[in-house]
Amino acid sequence: MVKRPAFYLALLLCGMFTVPACAGSRQDAGEVLRIGVITSLTGSAAAFGQAHKNGYTIALDELNAAGGVMGKKIDLVYYDDQSRPDQAVQGVNKLVDQDGVPIILGAYSSENTRAIVPAVTQKSIPLVMPTATADNVLETGSPWVFRICAGSSAYAAATLDFLKAMDAPKSMAIVYENTNFGQSNADAMDKAARAAGFDVVDSEAYQASSPDYKALLQRVKARNPAIIYFASYLLDASTLMRQASQTNLNPQYYTSAGTGFAAAEFPTRDKGAGPYAEYTFSVSQWLPTARWKGSKEFDDAFFKLTGTHPAYHAMQAYAALLTATAAIRQANSAEPAAIRDALKAINLPETPFGPIKFDEHGQNPHQVLITQVLEGQYKVVYPPEAAETKPVVPTPPWDTRRAK
Amino acid sequence: MDVYAALQAVINGLLTGALYALIGMGLALIFGVMRIVNFAHGAFMMLGMYVTYVLFTRTGISPYALFIVTGTILFAFGYVVYFALMRPIHGQSDFMQILLTLGVGLICTDAVQLIFGADYHQINIPLQDTNFRIGPNISVNAPWVVSFGIACVLALALYLFVMRTMTGRAARAIAQNRYAAPLMGINVFRVQAISFAVGSAAAGIAGALLLPVFYLYPGVGDQFTLKAFVMVVLGGMESIVGAALAGLVLGVVENLTSLYWGNEWALAVDFAIFVLVLSLKPSGIFGRQTV
Repeated sequence: MVKRPAFYLALLLCGMFTVPACAGSRQDAGEVLRIGVITSLTGSAAAFGQAHKNGYTIALDELNAAGGVMGKKIDLVYYDDQSRPDQAVQGVNKLVDQDGVPIILGAYSSENTRAIVPAVTQKSIPLVMPTATADNVLETGSPWVFRICAGSSAYAAATLDFLKAMDAPKSMAIVYENTNFGQSNADAMDKAARAAGFDVVDSEAYQASSPDYKALLQRVKARNPAIIYFASYLLDASTLMRQASQTNLNPQYYTSAGTGFAAAEFPTRDKGAGPYAEYTFSVSQWLPTARWKGSKEFDDAFFKLTGTHPAYHAMQAYAALLTATAAIRQANSAEPAAIRDALKAINLPETPFGPIKFDEHGQNPHQVLITQVLEGQYKVVYPPEAAETKPVVPTPPWDTRRAK
Repeated sequence: MDVYAALQAVINGLLTGALYALIGMGLALIFGVMRIVNFAHGAFMMLGMYVTYVLFTRTGISPYALFIVTGTILFAFGYVVYFALMRPIHGQSDFMQILLTLGVGLICTDAVQLIFGADYHQINIPLQDTNFRIGPNISVNAPWVVSFGIACVLALALYLFVMRTMTGRAARAIAQNRYAAPLMGINVFRVQAISFAVGSAAAGIAGALLLPVFYLYPGVGDQFTLKAFVMVVLGGMESIVGAALAGLVLGVVENLTSLYWGNEWALAVDFAIFVLVLSLKPSGIFGRQTV
């Protein structure tokens, strides 16, 4: 016989797993138009998922205040992929089969976005990608996927342009987290750097969520690169920079493929690297000071919502929902195929994120910037026409910084 | 790679390894006395981190003092979990007990997520900005050193508890023969409860000591459950000294692998050793002695 407490515990556990599956129902023909969102609200990428949610919320409020679309209010149906690719795929099934959404926005990470491309293609549902920078999210040639953000090749190219403009020494180490985002950005940089005549002296993959990168940083230090290019998420970026100081690693340039190094939390003491973030360069897709109309207003709305200023991830989510809604409006239909065709033809010359128009691969050719953390703030330092200030190079060695 | 880099990696490995050791000893103690692998062990460590985090943000007292409070709370928690959940299924199949601990772990993780959200947190103490330099090439970060010192003292205390106290002797007796021990007048439930509570406290304290050098989120404990399991197997299943040594070895091996082969190999090597030990010397590298 089963003794009671264990039996009830088992029941409880079963309950925990089955309840989420029953929630939700199909798109009703009534007054709302549902749009599916997959992002990482829990798990290691939760900070970025929350940024997504804030961006979507601001866009949703604006759009609904202006009357919604096709006379209906817009409703967002979120699916939390728990920062796991298998869950993201589950999300596509759930959003399409149970909620009947005609379009999906997401996911957050490159890893999870790459995982859902086959699923949306198979179900013939258009997917707008706000933040996946790995270039392989478009490699299948699926006609159903559209990417708002610039990709890893654009990141590498912008970083190299900046380094060439600065006349930087040509030895580089690449340090990257070993999932799709990191690998894709490391590959893109490796290729582009060699083509540009840089000497890639070291390439280090690591597992994010490790408490200790000191041995890795020692390896990098032994090769003595003038430039380090990081492709990291937030928790690892903070740990890497703290431990770079502990290992006394002093390259002339700390550069990075955005993401962790461009997160709003990264330069803060409470949730990021604090003073250790200082002087790091990053690729950035957007800043509150961007010259696009509506950037300032978005910043204000974000500040009102959260009490902090946004990084580009929130803006990309905002722009993704804006684009999706514009496509639905243009298609004047909630049919996935009609929305897909409208997305292919869409041309939004003025959004707060900049112009949005997809090429034949579904890529929006978005221009990226180079920023540097100076006194805890992201400042644009390149290209010159957008620069707010001059970059501080070479990076001051850790010993001289501690004196302050 | 010069000799200093290797030396630095060994030092870093020992610093991390001492915390691993504390986690592993807790698990080994529970395994020895109860014959079950506590899959909630990492979750208990995570609870220790959250308890310390909450106390630190409320009071501002250093985690290096708060770990005592955390240990006490986790001790009480372990004691209650034992009597409320583990004892009722005493004597049932091992499989059921293992599933029960897995369930307890899941509930802890999800409860913390419900209360604190999935977002991660970190704490800042002035000590984090201090590095000790030994010669021109070796440097160690102060919080790691303090955590190491405390972990060593506690590991020694745990060892003395098991070897010298009446309860410790009783625990070893149960580990030796759990059918004969009650015949000798040992109150098995009481000793198991205390062992489970002490094991939980060790995990919780390790969490408290890890807090200043790491970050916390509800799922943070998972990887440590696995590591602790590896340590217990390396250490010869029920030997707490073995588990402690295995913790240090694991820390050093991870760092050296990371240094010579790259960070992404560190976990692979952990588990390669694990598989090799299980297939070639199942009694563990440091096997033989019990509890």
